[in-house]
Amino acid sequence: MSGNPSTMPCRITRPGVALASSRAVGPDGVLRVAGTANDSITDGPGIRFTIFTQGCPHDCPGCHNPQTHAVDAGTIETVDALWERVVANPLLSGITLSGGEPMLQPIPLARLARRARARGLSVWCYTGYRFERLLAGEPSAEVLDLLGDVDVLVDGPFVQRLKSLSLTWCGSSNQRLIDVPASLGSSTVTLWNA
Amino acid sequence: MDSTIRTHTAVTTIIKRDGRSVAFDESKIAEAVCKAFEASGAMKGYEEAERIADRVVELIETGALEGRPSVEGVQDLVEEVLIADGFARTAKAYILYRAERSRSREVNTRLMQTMRDLTFSKAADADLKRENANIDADTAMGTMLKYGSESAKQFYEMCVLAPEYSRAHQGGDIHIHDLDFYTLTTTCTQIDLLKLFEGGFSTGHGVLREPNSIASYSALACIAIQSNQNDQHGGQSVVNFDYSMAQGVRKSYARLYVRNLATALELLGDVDDATAVARHAAADVLEGTGLVPTLDPDGAYRVAERDALLATVVDGGIVGHAQAFAEKAAWRDADRETYQAMEAFIHNLNTMHSRAGAQTPFSSINYGMDTTPEARMVVRNILLATESGLGHGETPIFPIQIFRVKEGVNFNPGEPNYDLFKLACRCSAKRLFPNFSFQDAPFNLQYYKGTPETEIAYMGCRTRVIGNVYDPSREISNGRGNLSFTSINLPRLAIKARGDVDLFFELLDSMLRLTVGQLDERFEIQCRKKVYNAPFLMGQGVWIDSEQLAPDDEQREVLKQGTLSVGFIGLAETLKALTGAHHGESEASQNLGLEIIGYMRRYLDQLSEERKLNYTLLATPAEGLSGRFVRMDRECYGSIEGVTDRDYYTNSFHVPVYYPISAFDKIRIEAPYHALTNAGHISYVELDGDPTKNLDAFEAIVRYMERSGIGYGSINHPVDRDPVCGYNGIIDDVCPQCGRREDEDGGGFERIRRITGYLVGTLDRFNDAKRAEERDRVKHGVGAGDIVAEKPVAAGATV
Repeated sequence: MSGNPSTMPCRITRPGVALASSRAVGPDGVLRVAGTANDSITDGPGIRFTIFTQGCPHDCPGCHNPQTHAVDAGTIETVDALWERVVANPLLSGITLSGGEPMLQPIPLARLARRARARGLSVWCYTGYRFERLLAGEPSAEVLDLLGDVDVLVDGPFVQRLKSLSLTWCGSSNQRLIDVPASLGSSTVTLWNA
Repeated sequence: MDSTIRTHTAVTTIIKRDGRSVAFDESKIAEAVCKAFEASGAMKGYEEAERIADRVVELIETGALEGRPSVEGVQDLVEEVLIADGFARTAKAYILYRAERSRSREVNTRLMQTMRDLTFSKAADADLKRENANIDADTAMGTMLKYGSESAKQFYEMCVLAPEYSRAHQGGDIHIHDLDFYTLTTTCTQIDLLKLFEGGFSTGHGVLREPNSIASYSALACIAIQSNQNDQHGGQSVVNFDYSMAQGVRKSYARLYVRNLATALELLGDVDDATAVARHAAADVLEGTGLVPTLDPDGAYRVAERDALLATVVDGGIVGHAQAFAEKAAWRDADRETYQAMEAFIHNLNTMHSRAGAQTPFSSINYGMDTTPEARMVVRNILLATESGLGHGETPIFPIQIFRVKEGVNFNPGEPNYDLFKLACRCSAKRLFPNFSFQDAPFNLQYYKGTPETEIAYMGCRTRVIGNVYDPSREISNGRGNLSFTSINLPRLAIKARGDVDLFFELLDSMLRLTVGQLDERFEIQCRKKVYNAPFLMGQGVWIDSEQLAPDDEQREVLKQGTLSVGFIGLAETLKALTGAHHGESEASQNLGLEIIGYMRRYLDQLSEERKLNYTLLATPAEGLSGRFVRMDRECYGSIEGVTDRDYYTNSFHVPVYYPISAFDKIRIEAPYHALTNAGHISYVELDGDPTKNLDAFEAIVRYMERSGIGYGSINHPVDRDPVCGYNGIIDDVCPQCGRREDEDGGGFERIRRITGYLVGTLDRFNDAKRAEERDRVKHGVGAGDIVAEKPVAAGATV
């Protein structure tokens, strides 16, 4: 990883107000990440390149990755550098945007997602927000832009009492696997069908 | 008394080498010195010897030795006094005498100490008892096997091996594998069951007739493996499991068809003596057309049988109906019988004992290419039985299963056995087996002529025998195997070369010469064995051409069909020592790595050509060896970063398990070595996460291995089981199904891991080095919860 997180010019949309004002500012070509997984087999079907974004406002009790919550931690990666690693891996079925809360950094992630789809890779995205909430009121243009290049959205916060190991691709039973193109095309939420 | 003040203390006792304390006797010193005087011709007598002894005692009493005097300490003083008094030659004679005495003493004490360790220590405490993870050395027969094996090793080291080979082995330059069997056996065979079963065979106490059902086929397959294991020390593999078991299904089906036809005739047509009618019809068809009922829907048989039935009492209206019922019911019954036969096969191979009664046989089976419906029934059912596991759902450790992957047969959608390939992936994702062998890798494909004999076969752990300079007309695997193999400690050569690559190759050259010499020495011993020394392997014609020999004949000629293999360990550490970076870290190191392994291969190829004998290069499975070499090298050369600073040397040409690398890079880097190691190879990818929930990912890796020119590969992933609730999957500290902790009642969780190609049910039986290696393995595919650290900058990469 390159760069020093404390001096790199990258800001993250302030949590809480993210979706109301949705000003994901900072250079469009960089994002703050907690880490990556080159050969993930647990973040969607096939082998996937998973990006764990840094920064999350939800603070779900029992979160697997509490170290990703702070918005000013992690390291800065450029979209180009991440993309190079995606291209280098011939085993990939797709990429997965995880975190952290990806919706805090929609602009660079949308760029990455668009390139992935153009290459025939599927894009999965995890978010602690409900799908309806992301679209409610006057939705953020950047978030909509990102959703336009997501195939499957795993939505909703992690709820510890609904946790189950028998679930595939999500942690608690309130979370849904949403077929984003189908859902955006109609007015109802369509679940993803493997 | 103040212990820092030296005072005159009378010497009353002395500590012997074995730790016992005995009365001190000054005259023994004088006697030994006297003998040394005689040996050196110093013309001095007992009086002078007594004077020397007095002087030694005086030194002891004034505190020349710390603590209570020991025999070794006293002898050191004797040498000092002799030298001080000018008896240089006598001192030398005394030293030689001491050395001679300690060598003969060592012969006894080393062996006795070994026996003591085996008898009184638990396997958990003694690495010696965990050298081979497949043996439970805590059992009576396991200990008996170790007594035999350890004494045999020491006997061979001292009395059989030429001193230079013995020294090289003991000193850790090379490792002679299965040394305990040095004068007894060869390593392994690819057993051809079709050939063995034809006309029946004998296990020594009576003849077993040619089997007539899939149940007997599978039972006799176990017996063949078990019997042959008593004649060899290495793995026993079935070269043609699908082709041979399919014969059993054919026989079962024909019988079940007739039985079901009789049932139908009796029910539908109220035919008296329906069994006889059905049998006669089948016999008539066989006589008239040569056809038998088969799983293949065969119109010709149906028509001929219909005519035969109509010729008897049967009412024409029911014949078609009865035949249709018989076909359907016979398929169902044959399928069930095959499943049970496969289940029994697996159960037997995990329970029956062989090899001095202390081990299950090292069994492997190759399958996947036979596209007949009978063979497909066999393969589907062995996979299903493996998937469901043993009695309580445990993962079967044996047999090692090897699925042969080939384009046009089973690799792509639409190909006849593609469904079996998918099932094999599903099964392996849960049970770690089958492994995958790739028929289309160029170095395997070159031998393939479209016949079953020319398909590549692997021994489960990785061994491969197919090329044949001795008998080029038979480049096949059937009935052949490895005779013996010896591995070279590559990292030591690199350490000695101190970065000088030319010097490294010189050292490698002479080590290759020495290793080949040792293989030749062992081969000569093996050649002199008679057929009666291997009553099953040679007596029953399992080994190629052995059926042409008489019981008193030497094995020599037919053994030339086998291979003599040179192995190697620690290419990664070798490269690290030579260049500062291993082949996962640097392209230049990868190039050098390929040159080194390519050099070894060329050396052996040339030798093979000259002598018309099969010398081959093996990517050594490192059990028992991974810790031994590095321990010795660390003692000798100290802890060298990336070379001797871990508890193990890396397996053969593998990228080190501790090094974080993407799966595709690992495959890409290791694949070219598969082409070079013609005696066998395997690459692993470690997966973190449960691949049964993501079969696409599992298959993607297998497909990439195929595309990259891997010859034999396998995917490792954690397989844990809670013996209390039976949960099978990944278990950390707490069972996710029942919430039980490992330290609670009910015992620890079972953790199946792969070690040198074999699965081991518990980490307890891993030796120390292998435990350390397992701990360090970097897994690929990390869960949503775990964030992997970025690849660290390679330490020392710029050195």
